[in-house]
Formats: sequence, structure tokens, C-alpha cells
Amino acid sequence: MSYDDVEIEDMEWSDELQAFTYPCPCGDLFQITKEDLRAGEEIARCPSCSLYITVIYNAEDFSFDDHKNNMPPPQKPITVA
Amino acid sequence: MAATPASGEQEEEVCLWSWGAGTEGQLATGTLEDQFLPQRITSLPAISHIACGGAHAIALTGDGKVWTWGRGTKGQLGHEEMNNCLKPRVVKLLESFFVSDVAAGWNHSGFVTDTGRLFMCGDGSFGQLGTGNNESHSSPIEISFSDATHVEQVACGMRHSIALVKDASSSGDLVYGFGAGRHGQIGKPATRSSYLPMVVPGLENCSIADVCANGDQSAALTSNGQLYTWGRGFGGSSGSHIPQLLTSPLRFSKVVLGWNHALLIADGDTYILGGDHHGMLASAPKSQQASSPSSDDSSAIPNLRKVPGLDGEKAICIAAGAEHSALVTEHGTVMTWGWGEHGQLGLGNSCDQTCPQALDISYNGPFASSQFRVYCGSGFTFLAKLPS
Repeated sequence: MSYDDVEIEDMEWSDELQAFTYPCPCGDLFQITKEDLRAGEEIARCPSCSLYITVIYNAEDFSFDDHKNNMPPPQKPITVA
Repeated sequence: MAATPASGEQEEEVCLWSWGAGTEGQLATGTLEDQFLPQRITSLPAISHIACGGAHAIALTGDGKVWTWGRGTKGQLGHEEMNNCLKPRVVKLLESFFVSDVAAGWNHSGFVTDTGRLFMCGDGSFGQLGTGNNESHSSPIEISFSDATHVEQVACGMRHSIALVKDASSSGDLVYGFGAGRHGQIGKPATRSSYLPMVVPGLENCSIADVCANGDQSAALTSNGQLYTWGRGFGGSSGSHIPQLLTSPLRFSKVVLGWNHALLIADGDTYILGGDHHGMLASAPKSQQASSPSSDDSSAIPNLRKVPGLDGEKAICIAAGAEHSALVTEHGTVMTWGWGEHGQLGLGNSCDQTCPQALDISYNGPFASSQFRVYCGSGFTFLAKLPS
């Protein structure tokens, strides 16, 4: 069972981890990468325990390269309804 | 006051134990291992209080000195560096002060001096240090209030802070909030965050005895036993962006907050608010519910019930981690329940418990139950036997 639903706005970008993070009650961080988000993944996992959260985000926000244009293109085009 | 005992007996020993998640050194054991059973800690002087955060802890000694350990990567240990510390170390920059209250958030820390000054350090990304910007600080920085104010207490949540302030020019106490506010935890509707302390509205005419914060939750207890909560809310109750008075005939004497639950003491009974959000914490049979919770999620009446399994024993100390709870009974029994994956219940396994379970503390010396104090961090727990 997902521990919580967390909006992407509540997650923090970590340059070190290259992932969006959110505090896990164990003391570590739930993590999800931009690539995960582009691929439509919505589960952010904690590397230290069994808990995971469901990330609430708008797929459109991650379907194109970010403005810095330094990310690889998505593997597959994502159809936006 | 008393003269040294003629027997030449040594000063009464302070005993300290820790257990649970240890990956950042937060157990003060000198290792990074999780511990599933209470570990005796010997590296601290005579402490009087401990505050536990996301993965760091702050001990206050009887002479007003502050020791910190655990995760320090955001500067939350106040040691002028951004490193973890596996053993308690004194905070040198506060040595010239007598510190009277300390608080530990997810990655930040607060310190109040006996002269009413507030110092903060650690992660400031959300304004939770109250400095006016979002910078982090690895040494305690003083937070300015007006001259007439005397800061009494500080509480730190995941990304916000609460300060209880006495103001000579104001009739009542003032509660300030700063840091992240998206879930209402600083008491300001429609505020993403505040980098400076702002008065929490609705509490201006109250005499406040205690403030607390954890996760995205905040609470204030009035001196006549009324409880106000604001922030994300507890399971069945919807969250509130301004302080909500808990409608109850009970008069509360103590409150502590987890990320999704609160523990309360009223007339010697121990109550839990929320906590069934993830099925991890004590959920009592319906018959034990103290007030009639509404199944309607929009109801302002929260899900308050007695903690089961205490058989009428009174709790004299309560503590809440992110998803676990601990208490000490009037007979000195230490009990834990909730999420147990990292050993934070100290029961020798990683099982979750829905009812309080008694811990086996190997302590054979004399004690009064009132000497035991339990403190919970996000995924870890400390127990202290204080001097009588």
C-alpha cells in the first residue's frame, strides 16, 4: 500500500541524487528521477525501507526536455490527450 | 541543596538508551546500524531533555549546554560544518548561553535561551529558519523578534517551525509560524511559505502552555487544557489552515505530534488522534472510541480515541515519531507501538504493533517512574532515566 500521495510541488529536486525527493518516515528520502516521470512512473521509493509514495504530477510537465535542454530525449513520444 | 551523602555515594547516574533507524548516526552508538533492541549510551553528560528530528538529535544538559549528533548534511547539528556526527558533540557556538529549550525538525534545529532569544540552524530551503531568506546555516543564527518579546519555546516540523513568544506589549501569548505553509502548518491560508516568523491568527487571546510541530502538523495547548491544531490534519479529520479548537469536554495536559497522528493526555488517560491513515498505528475497537467520530470526511470532529491496551494505567510521558509512538506508565513501564520496520519499537524485531507493547529495559537500579522520559525521532527512539 502506498504510504502517501505527494504532489510533485511538495518534492525537492536533489542535484546530488539527480532525483525528486520527499522525506520518508524512516529518516531517508523517497526518490524518483525525471526519467521515471517521463516514462509515466508514479511510484517514488525509499532505498532504506519498504515504503513508497505515489507522486501526483502532470505528465505533460515531464514529456519534453526541460528548458536547459540538457536531458536526453524521451525514449518514446508521450501522447498528450 | 543537599550535602554530599556521607556514604560517599557517587552522583546519581543518568542512563540513556536508543534504538531504531541508525543509518545517519542518530542513535549515538557510534555506528550506522539499525538497532532492534535498546542500546545503552554512555557518551553524554547529565542530560535533562532530548529533541529528536528526521535523523538527528539534540540533548540539553541540566546546565543549559547543547549536544547534537546524527545527520548533519544541512548544518542541523550547528557544528559549523555539513557532516554527520556519530557521537554526541557539544555545540560550541551556544556555550556562552544557557539554553532552556531545543527542537529538532526533519533537517533543522531550534534553540531557545533562558533570556528569551531564539537561534536556528540547518536546512532553510523553505524559510524554516526564519531568517528572511531560504539559506541554510551550519551554525546557530539568531532570529530577531521585536525588543519586547521573550521567546519561550520552539517546535520544528518537517519544513516549518513554531515559536511561542511572550510579548510584554501584548495581552496574551503569541504563536509564530515560519517555513513551509502549503498544508496550513504555519497557520496562514494560501501561503506557500514564509521566510520570516508570522503570527498564527486565532490564538492571540489565549494563554499557551505548549506548542508542538511534526511533519506538516502544528498544535498549541492552552493553559486551561484546550487543544488547537492546524496543518495537514489527522486521518479522519480534514486539515485546517488556521488553528482549530478540538471540540471535546476533555482537558488536555500534554500533546505530542507524529506525521499523521497525535497523542494526548487528559485526566490521566492517553488518547490518540488519527493514526489509522496507513493502518500502522493503534486502531482501537469501535467500542473504545471516546468521542463519536464521523464517517463524513468533511466533519471537523476528528477521530479521537483512547489508546488501547493500557488497562487503566496512566501515562506520565508520551512521545510520537513519524509513524510510531512511545510512552512511560506511572509504574515505569516503557511501551511502544506503531511502525516497527527499523526497530524503532525496540522489541527485538521489525514488526508493526497496533497496541502498546512493554519493553524489556535491562535496568536494575532504583528509580521512580517519573524519572523515565522517552523521545521519538522520525524512525528512532531514545529513553532516558533522569536524576531524581
